[in-house]
Amino acid sequence: MKVLNVVGRRIPMYDAAAKAMGQAQFTDDLERPGMLHGRFVRSTIAHGRILQVDVSRALVLPGVKGVITGRDIPDRVYGIVPKGKDEHALARDKVRYIGDAVAAVVAVDVETAEEAVRLVKVEYEELPAVFDPLDAIQEGAPIVHDNVPNNISASIRKEWGDVEKAFAKSDYVFEDSFFSQAVNHAPIEPHAALAQYDPQNGDLTIWSSTQIPYFLKRNLATTLLIPENKVRVIKPKVGGGFGGKIDMFSKDFCACWFARELLRPVKFVYEREEVFQNTRQRHPMYITVKTGVAKDGKILAQQIKAHADGGAYNSTAPLMITLSCFFIMIPYRIENLLYEGYHVYTNKPTGGAMRGHGIPQARFAIERQLDMIAGRIGVDAAEMRVRNAIQPGEPHPAGFIINTCGFADSVKEAAKAIGWTEKRGKLPFGRGVGIAGASFPSGVANMAHLSSGSVVQLTREGRVNVLSGAADIGQGAETVICQIVAEQLGVPMEDVRITAADTGICPLDAGTFGSGVTVRAGNAALLAANDVRGQLFQFVAERLEANIDDLVAADRRIWVNGSPDRGMSLNDALHAYQYADNPLPIVGRGSWIPPTEQPTSLLTKNGNFSPSYSFMTQAAEVEVDIETGKVRVIKMVTAHDCGQPINPMLVEGQLEGSIMGGMGQALYEDSTCIDGQQYNPSFLDYGFPTAMEMPEMESVHIDTDDPLGPFGAKEAGEGTQLAPAPAIVNAIADAIGLEFHRLPVTPAMILEGLRKKQGKAEGTDSST
Amino acid sequence: MHLPIFTHRQPADFAGVVSALTEGSGAKVLAGGTDLLVNMKHRIEMPETLVSLKKVADIRGISLEGDATVIGAATTLKEIRQNSELERKFPALVQAAMSVGSYRHQAMGTLGGNLCQNTRCRFFNQSWQWRQVRSLCYKVGGEDCHVIGRKHTCFSTYSGDVAPALLVLDASLRITGPDGPREAPLSTLYSGEGRTPVTLGRGEFVTAVVIPGAAARGKSRYEKFSLRGSIDFPIVGAAVWRGDGSVRAAYTGVDRAPVRASELEAELAGQELTDASLKRGANLAHKAAKIAPTSVHPVSFKRELMGVLFVKAMRDIS
Amino acid sequence: MGKKTVLELMINGDTFEIACAPNMTLLEALRDKALLTGTKRGCDTGGCGACTVIMDGEAVLACLTLAVEAEGCDIRTIEGLALDGKLSPLQEAFVEHGAIQCGFCSPGFIMSATALLAEVPSPGREEIRRHLAGNLCRCTGYVKIIGAVESVAVKDRGGEK
Ligand SMILES: Cc1cc2nc3c(=O)[nH]c(=O)nc-3n(C[C@H](O)[C@H](O)[C@H](O)COP(=O)(O)OP(=O)(O)OC[C@H]3O[C@@H](n4cnc5c(N)ncnc54)[C@H](O)[C@@H]3O)c2cc1C
Ligand code: FES
Ligand code: FES
Repeated sequence: MKVLNVVGRRIPMYDAAAKAMGQAQFTDDLERPGMLHGRFVRSTIAHGRILQVDVSRALVLPGVKGVITGRDIPDRVYGIVPKGKDEHALARDKVRYIGDAVAAVVAVDVETAEEAVRLVKVEYEELPAVFDPLDAIQEGAPIVHDNVPNNISASIRKEWGDVEKAFAKSDYVFEDSFFSQAVNHAPIEPHAALAQYDPQNGDLTIWSSTQIPYFLKRNLATTLLIPENKVRVIKPKVGGGFGGKIDMFSKDFCACWFARELLRPVKFVYEREEVFQNTRQRHPMYITVKTGVAKDGKILAQQIKAHADGGAYNSTAPLMITLSCFFIMIPYRIENLLYEGYHVYTNKPTGGAMRGHGIPQARFAIERQLDMIAGRIGVDAAEMRVRNAIQPGEPHPAGFIINTCGFADSVKEAAKAIGWTEKRGKLPFGRGVGIAGASFPSGVANMAHLSSGSVVQLTREGRVNVLSGAADIGQGAETVICQIVAEQLGVPMEDVRITAADTGICPLDAGTFGSGVTVRAGNAALLAANDVRGQLFQFVAERLEANIDDLVAADRRIWVNGSPDRGMSLNDALHAYQYADNPLPIVGRGSWIPPTEQPTSLLTKNGNFSPSYSFMTQAAEVEVDIETGKVRVIKMVTAHDCGQPINPMLVEGQLEGSIMGGMGQALYEDSTCIDGQQYNPSFLDYGFPTAMEMPEMESVHIDTDDPLGPFGAKEAGEGTQLAPAPAIVNAIADAIGLEFHRLPVTPAMILEGLRKKQGKAEGTDSST
Repeated sequence: MHLPIFTHRQPADFAGVVSALTEGSGAKVLAGGTDLLVNMKHRIEMPETLVSLKKVADIRGISLEGDATVIGAATTLKEIRQNSELERKFPALVQAAMSVGSYRHQAMGTLGGNLCQNTRCRFFNQSWQWRQVRSLCYKVGGEDCHVIGRKHTCFSTYSGDVAPALLVLDASLRITGPDGPREAPLSTLYSGEGRTPVTLGRGEFVTAVVIPGAAARGKSRYEKFSLRGSIDFPIVGAAVWRGDGSVRAAYTGVDRAPVRASELEAELAGQELTDASLKRGANLAHKAAKIAPTSVHPVSFKRELMGVLFVKAMRDIS
Repeated sequence: MGKKTVLELMINGDTFEIACAPNMTLLEALRDKALLTGTKRGCDTGGCGACTVIMDGEAVLACLTLAVEAEGCDIRTIEGLALDGKLSPLQEAFVEHGAIQCGFCSPGFIMSATALLAEVPSPGREEIRRHLAGNLCRCTGYVKIIGAVESVAVKDRGGEK
């Protein structure tokens, strides 16, 4: 096997030192001469028509430079998914949730802008509001968007095989319902944007905390009516995204609008409360699962009905509900599946992409039900998962092509590491273990044009410059890309510089979502590096009178494989290259798109969803304090098939972070509303886990080598967020015999459950 | 989120504090600021003047007067947490101090600020913007209580961790004001009323907490229930003390003031402490409080926790 | 009333003259006036620790500290830890351990941990955890952060013996 020098190593992120010193700049750290600061006036009602916005008092406040409402800007909607566009930068006729942006104010400082916000008076005609998707789909329910009379803005119904027939053949059929709550991404960096306009040439530049610079550029152009080639989006360092920055917000549009109108730089930074209320959240979802199984636990058919609470706008609606559907077909072999899913508008904060994107909700329901079924039919829950595990290379009912798959092994390894055989069902009351499995795509293939490009330059001095469109949001995408390029060119990491996610100078990229960055942008960089390598190595091969395919490179040297003496330093090679009057720097280009027959078949046809799929099983051990109902997660195991990791330390980091996210979803976090108003929009009240809550973590690497990924890599980072929550809730069931169907599982729910169980036990005692 | 405008005073002694507090109409003491400044950012408290304790002499530190322990009001919770003498004599106090917020809050937050902190409610501890959705609540000058849907009443909940510990230790306060110094039992600091939970008169402030020597002759314990092991306010907190045939219990997070559980205490007075008697006491715990749904945690759950935490705490000192 | 005054703040050994009204927080003074943007604003209400700085040896929240109250104090921010461009051992450990992902929380964590190690050179794992539990991180699950602090603490312990 090929020896690797940079790839596969535990290398710190190339920008970690700058971050450790406080020098790395995030959007809010940027300062421009004459910069103005903006704030939003937000709706105080859940649903209503805007009758009048009186900005006169705000406008005369000293220091205020501008106030606009939805009427002052073009009547254009934006949206991350083209067919789902439904949102105005500022509400135009109607407000649809508490917090909807109604007007924007800019002033010389934030304090003045805040004061001005208090002076804007908005008059509404209040309309009846609806807060639950199951209510919103009823006849006569308030209509959130007039053009969607039933409030169902996206839906999917798909059947594979013949579900009815398979149910008829099943030994058992079970139906259970579940609910998964609203969860906020809660990145520590609040969303921000800074825009600047150059009136000389009409160039508009925006620095934005975004995961999707190119989508943002397009939407800015179409909503503000500016030619796309005049808009440049630059992503500074982003302080965490988790999907919450896979969208555009009022701050982006209004910063740009004011910058152009006032000819001064304008910055908008969201308050923490706005991050909670006005960005995105994981869709709350009601899911009913009906499953037919054979006596041995083999799944014969599943029927699923899901209602996602979309909140006031679409965001990723059609994609989210599709992902939720297709990914039920993996990691288990489900030959007969009927899925009906609805994205429903309500007068609440908007759902969007969040780590796992529509899949965690479904996984919670399915993994929970699997455990319940295992118990009901007397099959071991881990064994049942192995029995149903998909195998690499087997034909897939939805047309997925699964080249590598370590799922069955991951179940066994996770079970072993948590001590399944000794512990499951055998620990003292209050303690238990649970397990859950999942799979995730390495980027979505068949969804519009999703390619990544890369340009690599090798300078005369042996310095490597990489241009990539990939958006590093803290996961380390830029580091991974640099590693790939360094490996291919035989240079150490320190020789590589990267400029990424600047739409003005970087090649096209889809953005950071669907866990596709390493595979897509990594492959593009690999191709670009190979282009450079080919040009230089051709020249070197001639000088060394060797075959180009026999050359290897490392540590700034190129030589003939097997004869270390027949070679030259990179510097000598470049020197010779220069004196032969070859153009420098050597420039290579690469572009990569996942193989797919038809680029936009996602909603309509079966087909391969992704170039590759990661697989994982997570196991939890928990302790429930049966007096207070409090759950402590003692240990989490992740057995993970992510192909060949390019940087195992970064993969671990993703995994550890997603365990925290999963614990939050299982036990702590709930973006709950009172009459449509989010009641806990602060870190204090939202309460995601601190260092005190973190359990012991163990990870087991399941070795596979993917043929399509760069150096055999597959996705890592989103998939591991899917199974922790069901694993924990399954462990609670093992610990105290209570089956929870709703997230999060709170101490109050546990105490109530225990009380009921006790009552019942006493009840049956007395009757028998 | 910007602080509203105010005047800042930094007096050097008690007299200076009193005169600064009585200057205008709305002056407040600023100690660590970890409660007050958040409330000011939310514009639920808008004092005209902040009187800082930072430079005030003789208000910080832990000392002995006879067998009584005196803790200056501006002593930080961290100083309390790290004091081994306090830990030996009054474990409940140290446990309570080290359960407040996070270590950052303990380094900044003071004993006086912890005791005098404002009450809390999900409709009250919110930003100005957030509160525009409903009518002004009674506590910030409006009419309505959104928690119980009635007018002219406020059920906001006292949630400080340290008060219950000091209540079971029978602590008293040294207070200075325009009429000079006075000493009063800690329990009298609390009005039991949500809108103005603290009874200090105009120009008055707390200079020290006094714990009687007798308190060290019993065992004490503070048991806090919150979801996270750091940062969170208590959902319910229970302090217990036992000595010379009696048991004391006090709670936070359950009512408009920290409360002593007198029914429970009476039930157990002079009793042998067995599983059964503790259970009997625990069942009476909730009688001490009128719990309102000021947080997402169900009232019934909090009621149950009162008993549970009592038993847990007692088990630890048996 | 509430008039602007000129404050002298000692930050990382340098004196900054900052014109401000009493309602300016130390966080605003650092970020908006001194342009020391390494100290981050995550919530502005004391809930995340991103704004942690060291004031007279204590790790405190700059968003809940008045700039006027910081006058006369020795204020250390993340920008003041590296010496001549060389990272402090703790900064180095954060880098090497992969304790930094997006890095937005990192300055706060590093300042908290720096204060801890100055006070308790070799804290145990549980003490590190408790000490850092007022700092939120949404990326790392805290594992590598605690590991990084532990590695420096253990080294110190070795050095003592
Ligand atoms: C995220 C977060 C989490 C928190 N968690 C907790 C928690 O778990 N438990 C808890 O108890 N608290 C918690 N707090 C609240 C606060 O940090 C503590 O109560 C702290 O002890 C308050 O002390 P301070 O000195 O900062 O008070 P300040 O904010 O300075 O003052 C609070 C109030 O007391 C008054 N006051 C202060 N000192 C005196 C005095 N000597 N005489 C008269 N009045 C005085 C002030 O005028 C003000 O009204 C939390 C706060 C935050 C932001
Ligand atoms: S910004 Fe200060 S604690 Fe969050
Ligand atoms: S590294 Fe991103 S929040 Fe901690």
